Amino acid sequence: MKQKLLKSIGRAIPMLLFSMLLCTAAFAQRPISGKVVAANGQPVSGATVAVKGSNLATSTAPDGSFALSVPNDRSTLVVTYVGFDGIEVPITGLSSVNITLKERTSSLNEVVVTGYTSQAKKDITGSVAVVNTTDLKSIPQANAEAQLQGRAAGVNVTIDNRPGAGANVRIRGFASFGDNQPLYIIDGVPTGGLGGLNPNDIESMQVLKDAASASIYGARASNGVIVVTTKRGRQGGAKVAFNMYYGTQNPAQGFNLLNSQEMADLTFKSFRNANQPTPTTQYGSGANPVLPDYILPAGKFEGDPAVNPDLYNLDLNNINGSYLIHRANKVGTDWYDEITRNAPIQNYNLAVSGGGNKSRYMMSLDYFDQQAVIIESFFKRYTLRVNTEFNVKDNIRIGQNLQILVSEDNSVQNNGNNGEGTEIGFAYRNQPIIPVYDIKGNFAGSRAPTLGNSGNPVANRMRSKDNRGQNTSIFGNVYAEVDFLKHFTARTSFGGQINYGNYFFFGFKTYENSENNTGNTFTEGFNRFRSWTWTNTLAYKNTFKEKHDVQALIGTEAIEEWGRNIEGRRSNYFIEDLNFRALNSGGASGQVANGGPYTPAALFSIFGSVNYTFNDKYLASFTLRRDGSSRFGPNNRYGIFPSAAVGWRISRENFMRDVKWITDLKLRASWGQMGNQRINPANAFDQYLGGPGSSNYDLNGSSNSTIQGFQLSFVGNPDGKWETNETVNVGFDATLFGGKTEVIFDWYQKKTKDLLFRLAGFAYQGAGPVSNPAFVNVAGMNNTGIDLMITQRALIGGTKGVNLSGTLTFTTYKNEITELAEGIDFFETRGSRIGNFVRNAVGQPISSFFGYRVIGLFADAADVTKSPTQDAAAPGRFKYADIAGNPDGTPDGRITDADRTFLGSPNPDFSYGLQLNGAWKGFDLGVFFYGVQGKEAMNYVKWWTDFFPSFQGNKSKELLYNSWTPTNLGAKTPIAENLSNFSNNNAVNSYYLEDASFFRLKNLTVGYTLPSALTNKVKIDKARIYFQTTNLFTITKYTGLDPELIGADDAGGVDEGIYPTVKQFLFGVNINF
Amino acid sequence: MKKIAFSILSLATVGVITWSCSKSFLDRKPLGGLDATTLANKNGVEALLVGAYSVLDGFINGGGIFLGGWESSGTNWVYGSVVAGDAHKGSDAGDQPDINPIETFTATPTNNYFRIKYNLVYEGIARSNSVLKQLAAATDVSDADVKRITAEARFLRGHYHFEAKKMWNNVPYVDEKVTDFNLKNDADIWPLIEADIKNAYDNLPEIMSAKGRVNKWAAGALYAKALMFQRKYTEAKPILDAIYTTGKNAQGQKYALQAKFSANFNAETKNSTESVFAVQYSVNDGSNGGDNGGWGEVLNFPYTGGPGTCCGFFQPSQDLVNSYQVNATTGLPDPANYNSNEVKSDQTLRSADPFTPETGTLDARLDWTVGRRGIPFLDWGKHPGFNWIRDQAYSGPYAAIKNTYYKSQEKVLTDNTFWTAGVTANNYTLIRFADVILWLAECEVEGSNLEKARQLINEVRARAANPAGFVLDGAVPAANYKVGLYTTPFASQAAARTAVRFERKLEFAMEGHRFFDLVRWQVAATEINRILDYNGGVSNPSIINKRPYMGQANFTAGKHEYFPIPQAAIDRSVSGGVANIKQNPGY
Repeated sequence: MKQKLLKSIGRAIPMLLFSMLLCTAAFAQRPISGKVVAANGQPVSGATVAVKGSNLATSTAPDGSFALSVPNDRSTLVVTYVGFDGIEVPITGLSSVNITLKERTSSLNEVVVTGYTSQAKKDITGSVAVVNTTDLKSIPQANAEAQLQGRAAGVNVTIDNRPGAGANVRIRGFASFGDNQPLYIIDGVPTGGLGGLNPNDIESMQVLKDAASASIYGARASNGVIVVTTKRGRQGGAKVAFNMYYGTQNPAQGFNLLNSQEMADLTFKSFRNANQPTPTTQYGSGANPVLPDYILPAGKFEGDPAVNPDLYNLDLNNINGSYLIHRANKVGTDWYDEITRNAPIQNYNLAVSGGGNKSRYMMSLDYFDQQAVIIESFFKRYTLRVNTEFNVKDNIRIGQNLQILVSEDNSVQNNGNNGEGTEIGFAYRNQPIIPVYDIKGNFAGSRAPTLGNSGNPVANRMRSKDNRGQNTSIFGNVYAEVDFLKHFTARTSFGGQINYGNYFFFGFKTYENSENNTGNTFTEGFNRFRSWTWTNTLAYKNTFKEKHDVQALIGTEAIEEWGRNIEGRRSNYFIEDLNFRALNSGGASGQVANGGPYTPAALFSIFGSVNYTFNDKYLASFTLRRDGSSRFGPNNRYGIFPSAAVGWRISRENFMRDVKWITDLKLRASWGQMGNQRINPANAFDQYLGGPGSSNYDLNGSSNSTIQGFQLSFVGNPDGKWETNETVNVGFDATLFGGKTEVIFDWYQKKTKDLLFRLAGFAYQGAGPVSNPAFVNVAGMNNTGIDLMITQRALIGGTKGVNLSGTLTFTTYKNEITELAEGIDFFETRGSRIGNFVRNAVGQPISSFFGYRVIGLFADAADVTKSPTQDAAAPGRFKYADIAGNPDGTPDGRITDADRTFLGSPNPDFSYGLQLNGAWKGFDLGVFFYGVQGKEAMNYVKWWTDFFPSFQGNKSKELLYNSWTPTNLGAKTPIAENLSNFSNNNAVNSYYLEDASFFRLKNLTVGYTLPSALTNKVKIDKARIYFQTTNLFTITKYTGLDPELIGADDAGGVDEGIYPTVKQFLFGVNINF
Repeated sequence: MKKIAFSILSLATVGVITWSCSKSFLDRKPLGGLDATTLANKNGVEALLVGAYSVLDGFINGGGIFLGGWESSGTNWVYGSVVAGDAHKGSDAGDQPDINPIETFTATPTNNYFRIKYNLVYEGIARSNSVLKQLAAATDVSDADVKRITAEARFLRGHYHFEAKKMWNNVPYVDEKVTDFNLKNDADIWPLIEADIKNAYDNLPEIMSAKGRVNKWAAGALYAKALMFQRKYTEAKPILDAIYTTGKNAQGQKYALQAKFSANFNAETKNSTESVFAVQYSVNDGSNGGDNGGWGEVLNFPYTGGPGTCCGFFQPSQDLVNSYQVNATTGLPDPANYNSNEVKSDQTLRSADPFTPETGTLDARLDWTVGRRGIPFLDWGKHPGFNWIRDQAYSGPYAAIKNTYYKSQEKVLTDNTFWTAGVTANNYTLIRFADVILWLAECEVEGSNLEKARQLINEVRARAANPAGFVLDGAVPAANYKVGLYTTPFASQAAARTAVRFERKLEFAMEGHRFFDLVRWQVAATEINRILDYNGGVSNPSIINKRPYMGQANFTAGKHEYFPIPQAAIDRSVSGGVANIKQNPGY
């Protein structure tokens, strides 16, 4: 098969190129020269001067002058420059021309790249958000997905704040229980995300939101499409741009927890409230707790023979038999403080670009280094980009885009983000009396009796510092374009990516914990992934009778993905030395080797689009795509995705002529279908697998070997097909007051049907269907919402005065699950120590919180008696609302499972971003606010800190000082007691629910551009320095570390110690010459 | 024009060529897995059979599946022992909170423990059915092998159904012919379980190719057990008689009690003549951190300092410890009044506080069953009390011991590559020969052959009385051990019944059987409520070692004999608005 395909490629390419060559034509040429100036008379350097209808172009010199040759049959120059309106200049009969550019007052004529083509903004009938990439890049982040937050209406971005980690980008709510990631297209090549891209190389970014704009991507479009174009060279001399910033990041405040004495007091209080004898191990046997000088051996004081340092003995081969001595930290260890630090972040980017008549180039070299605010943790990235384009003939272009990326971090095996096993989790799970180090400088920890079971997070980080994850990727494409017969352009592009990943981590013996690892392990893995995309398009563009503009496109696309991975592990390492950490060095027992191929996936598609404009007033567009995908069984292999849109530039109508304040107004409406094919390529197949832990068994009773077995591991669904999402979009684009104000508004409704749902199989069928069920097309989901973007510009005091601009993006979505499967009204997610927090149910938005509603605390025994029957009800414990229970749904006087109810959801009412820019003389100011309103969160950290028996970690001040007592009836926190039951810490309830709305100053930048008179002397075109702070403040009622909680789409909004948003303070330089 | 035509043609050609191969281009088979036909032969069926055995330990990790753990441990330590009052959940109050309501009879159908156990046993059933399905399609299997493989698979299917039956009573039966899996639970499946296990008993050879395989006699024992659970004593008796007199293990060795009681709980002496059918545990076998070892019991080690490093669960109750008190003269237990005296515990004491263990006479099996302060804990030294206990105030002073490993076995018969050291290769013996003896004794009691019963009970007691099998402190017994025989005929059938049932308690404590025994004897409500009251401190307010949360618990007769059917199984069974799986009474 592969050979066959290669053969066909081999046959096709020469044919295509040959046909391109045939279309070449030559014409006589004449020279023309001139000068380009701005309205204020200043020369414009670097403007592009192109010959309309050809690919000939040049750029202006520092004095604004230019010269180029024009074919005799061409009569117009097109002059463009960033920030200015493009202009067409007739040159018939001229050999010299002076051109004045007007500063841009509206973006109507801006040409943006959309699906497989580009269009002027004014001609777009779908819903496309054009991202201001200058603002985008102003946020120092490794990943452009995170930078997108608040920049595009209709796009919700939740950031994972760990260095190098990405973000959840969700366009217009959620359309799937599986993968809601948008499709990313970089220079025409699809990819999984923007994590592998240097943000500095981004030239433009468009978000295709509705079906009219996105459904040309067919079965991959339903989550929206983000189209990125990287920078390329322009004609003119070599331009060098150097950008750098360096700064520091601040971890902000940790949890508000107890100190050592307070924790001892709380311990006594909690035991007494539970009628249990007060413990004496650490705190003596008196009426009040007394802090010991030593916690290991427990409860000892200076002078006790047991704490004689001579007894100290740490033997890693006999950890339980070791004799360790921990001095008490009587003040209290602030574990959050111990694991965090002010950490540097830096980025250097050097780009060289330019070109001549026949070729253009862009080369960019970038180094990004973000040390984490959590100690001993970092992310580094090196990228090299080379983009070139060559005019083989006047009408033939061949080009390439290539990026090589190497990244490195040490976060492998860090137990992720937002969990009890993370460093942040251990920050609240460790008791304050435990010091970081013991008397000999070795780690101290919960080995000291009765002080819980936390690990020492400082030790964890120090031990992880030499772990590494490394990734190398090559991403890009080569393409050829040929213009022929005036109106046609044929294009072929072959691109893809190759990723190599390697990771290794060492699991150390631990000695300081109550639950120690008594063995060590070393794990190393490699993975390789590659994909290719081959796209061929034929575009047609013409204007008939000056009124009928037609643009049409047809194309084919083939995509294939493939990968393999391998991982090995050994244990019982003789020593834990860094240089000894190789698989070969491990002990013979406990060897583990894993690896396998990913099932390859392939897609083959044909597609087309037609855009028609009558008199610049009435617009219509149609797209159609037929996708064949290997991810689905033969029964449902091909899907067809149509869309249609109409636009009406009402401002061009005569009756609108007199409305002077409306410069341009276009009404738009669209309908279409998009698909989501992102499921396991093996979904269609029954599979039998075997494995040491899943099906092997020691039938021989050997104690240390097994016989290989197999089991049915997956029950496939041969009838699976894509999710179909039908979108209606109505909106308008308005340019007002001569371009000072721009408004883009959209209302949409997105209905997903045949939604792929992992319907648990019957237990009786085998485990595959239960723990790893196949996707079936049974569910449905609706989203409606509005996207609004308003841009306002103002110039105060003339061209030399203050230049102000502001952009507001406003995003809402309302999500509702409309159907799951027959007989299935819900499925639960986000398990925890006390059960699932989230119920995804029909009629509710995705990821809704579900549990008992707390209506107060029982005041006294009488209150318990008169209230509905509730297990473990007692004064000071939660009183739950009796909501249902009777067959007719009325309250039944007892608290049962039936009384659980929907408590809220992390889906916001709306989110918004506000960018304000000002410039005066050489100074510039940028301010960016971002906010989310009406979102709720389950602060599960409170389970750990607000209830004494939820493991013996540190506890909240609230629990000690403001929990219920017979005299503190107004308390919100239940009685402090060493008992665990349904009425205190053993049920998911509304105690954990909090409002997680927030308003954040995401960015504040002050810059100064040195006067050109000064910089020109040293041949520098532009030199700017700036100071910047990000996330300076956040206004929120949320009591956890950070209200911005990243999580799975169907299990979001549960906080177990999220990696927080960090404050950054930076200094940066931009130099162009 | 010609040029245009050609260029369009060439583009079209590209499309068409790509198109013409796209059918195979889009045909991608999964890699790394097998389809059913690949396994429809002798080797494939044998491997599927291994896969069916491998579910016995209650934990599956890998091959696309992660299922089970302590929730579904083959030992049933939660459902068989904690629920019966042998032990408490243990650890601290907040860890594994799902067990709290199970221990106090307030668990609801949404409790995750039930869901996981349910899925696990039906996974075992599905795998057994896989064997039978592919066996039917295979053409290269000899008649003898067809007979044996069928019998082994049906035995396993019977065992897993038996697990479901004793847990939930009303459960669906699944065989290899089922195609519509939306099953009902409205029929008594005992006859079907019996048929499966009987087939194994009738068709399996005595000697098998591997120690871990079920043989004729193991199948017979499970068959008898199924009959015992239906109180069909007369039908069970001849089978038990046959096993008692002529039964052999899969290696062809005649069944016999081990000389030392403790040899049944030691990885070095597993698969002995007393092991009728055992769940095979292995470690350091290339799986991921002890997936094939005692994963389901990995939480049940003392807390720090001794074996394992975690997590202090499954702590024996004071009621259980008291049961081992014996009359100083006769060496016999006092089933009616054992709680009138409390075995001395170190509750409330720290390890540094002075403590002398109980000096009264005790059944020697106590210290192989319960780890307690001052008594050597295998070869780990003396149990230090408080320091090995995670939260003494909450969960009491004792530790489980039968699932534990010896210090000398560390890293050889344990896995220590995971977050907790101590996944062991110490098999869980599902049926011991002692079971066979005491079941037979029960049958004799019910058949009024009281002297025969007395002789059988004494056989088990005599082994316990062997001084060589006592826990030793140096060279001397660690406590005042005394195990006497019943030297006079039982006064009545009732007295004999009490004796044999109490003997099962002492012999099999902490082995996951007690609750199911109480239910089959139809005494669960009275017995458990009595124990709940005692352990909760209600019936004897002066006891030192009490768990007040137990005193509030109550066993409801007619309801709590069976666990609630997991809500997930009911929800999944809805068709046309009606759930095919019905909840058990009372839930």
